Amino acid sequence: MSTIVRVEDLHKSFGGIVVADDVNLSFEAGEIVGLIGPNGAGKTSLFNLISGVIPPDAGSIILEGHRVDQLPMHHRARIGLARTWQNTRMFHSMSVIDNLLIATRRYPGESLARILFRRRSVDAFRQEATEKAMVLLERVGLAEKMHEMAIELSYGQQKRIGLARALMSDAACLLLDEPMAGVEGQAYETIIRVIREEAQAGRAVCVVEHNISFIRDISDRTVFMFNGCVLASGSVDELTRDTQLTDLYFGGEHPQ
Amino acid sequence: MEYILTVMVLIGINVILATSFNLILGYGGLMSVAHPIFYAIGAYCSGLLAIHLQIPVPLSILIGAAIAMVLSFGVSLPSLRVSGDYLVIASIGFQLGILHVINNLEFTGAAGGLTNIPVLNEGPSRSLVFVLLIAVVAACAVLLVGWIVEGDYGRAITAMRNDEEAFSALGRNAMNIKIVLFAIGSGMAGLAGALYAHYFAYVTPEQFGIFTSAALLTMVVVGGAATTWGPLVGAVLLTTLPQAITFLGLPVSIMAPLQGVIYTTLVIFFLFARPQGLTGGSRGGGGLEAWSASAAFRARRRAE
Repeated sequence: MSTIVRVEDLHKSFGGIVVADDVNLSFEAGEIVGLIGPNGAGKTSLFNLISGVIPPDAGSIILEGHRVDQLPMHHRARIGLARTWQNTRMFHSMSVIDNLLIATRRYPGESLARILFRRRSVDAFRQEATEKAMVLLERVGLAEKMHEMAIELSYGQQKRIGLARALMSDAACLLLDEPMAGVEGQAYETIIRVIREEAQAGRAVCVVEHNISFIRDISDRTVFMFNGCVLASGSVDELTRDTQLTDLYFGGEHPQ
Repeated sequence: MEYILTVMVLIGINVILATSFNLILGYGGLMSVAHPIFYAIGAYCSGLLAIHLQIPVPLSILIGAAIAMVLSFGVSLPSLRVSGDYLVIASIGFQLGILHVINNLEFTGAAGGLTNIPVLNEGPSRSLVFVLLIAVVAACAVLLVGWIVEGDYGRAITAMRNDEEAFSALGRNAMNIKIVLFAIGSGMAGLAGALYAHYFAYVTPEQFGIFTSAALLTMVVVGGAATTWGPLVGAVLLTTLPQAITFLGLPVSIMAPLQGVIYTTLVIFFLFARPQGLTGGSRGGGGLEAWSASAAFRARRRAE
């Protein structure tokens, strides 16, 4: 297995609140890592640090051999990072298919000059992106919604669109922030299948989720975070057997 | 007749200004109110070049527009770091700062204004020819903005306006789009300014202040932000409306503040009651969504 993302001694604090306290982690190709911990443990902040929403105070983030911690967000995404958001963050005045098209690797509307002078390549890019978007919508079971406004779908459906959108760029690393929130029934199985397929295709996947049974179902390895620290790593069962961790998860005290 | 032609020139100028402002504010969601300063830069640069360097007027107009385009970095660079209300403040600072410089320099005519600017065309039907020219330029402006905001580039602009962070996280470069929108929009404003200067032969700093920002904002909001025809409708209405009021024969002490009252009332009314403007569909609002009370209301209701 090769390492896709390596986080080394990553540190970030906002005033007195430490959201990443010398975090060391790595995500391997083909591996699904579950990231759990109580609210405020720093799980989403870790995603924000890796994807570039917030800059780290110290430490490094290495994506497929490139150091990316100083690069702007869009640059990291192009090298191979894709993420979803806890609150879906659909482009609200756009249709589902347009939401996906934005995320394609070779975006046809990247520059006005290109649209003006390289009509044919732009058309080809759009064709390629549209086909890919259709396949992904099919996979998450929402192909029939392609022309609806993304914001008018249910929360669970938006989560699935968010997942499909993140898959548009074929990124080597997928960071999924609570993909199961609001997702029920058949869609639950669909998402598990899609995430597994992506891992099998050689991507490194990291999932933040409060639904422990989902994490147990899907993850190869689970990491427990608390107060910005990685406290433990192992299988869900190993972690849940540790009473100290379960106490912390369910509102225990800070370990002295 | 001459009066009507002059009003038509003003309408044409305002269509170009409102359309280009709509590109930045309505489509781009970039909350800059400094648009009139690029109008000023175009007017002053072109006027000064024609007066002092005897550059032929058509050429100086183009150079004036180009200078406005380049100086748009003055707002587009801050827009990379701040957005929303903070960009409003940064842009006001930029606008008033440059205006202050113009107001105090000897060679721009200071507060008295720049006079004796060579006109673009002369002859008995000078105004008519100019009206036709400005109509063509205004039509090109509307078409150019329409072309920019449609299709793949327009989709990227909309996505950036909806959620810049999510947009960047998908590998798209918001910086490029902002710089391009400001450059094109400001270049068009500079062109409008240069055309104005070489028609009226006279410009003063006070034409380019916050009052003009408010007037342009009103045109965009009333017509319909992020629509193709909205700014055109807004510009026509809000250029003719003040002219119509002058026929009421009110004393100047009432007339002058009345315009400001009408503009602000219209903006507030539309943001509350009809954020999509006169021409917008059910889902309008564009970059002004953040300011629109009813859009905020809808979003909150959805969240609950």
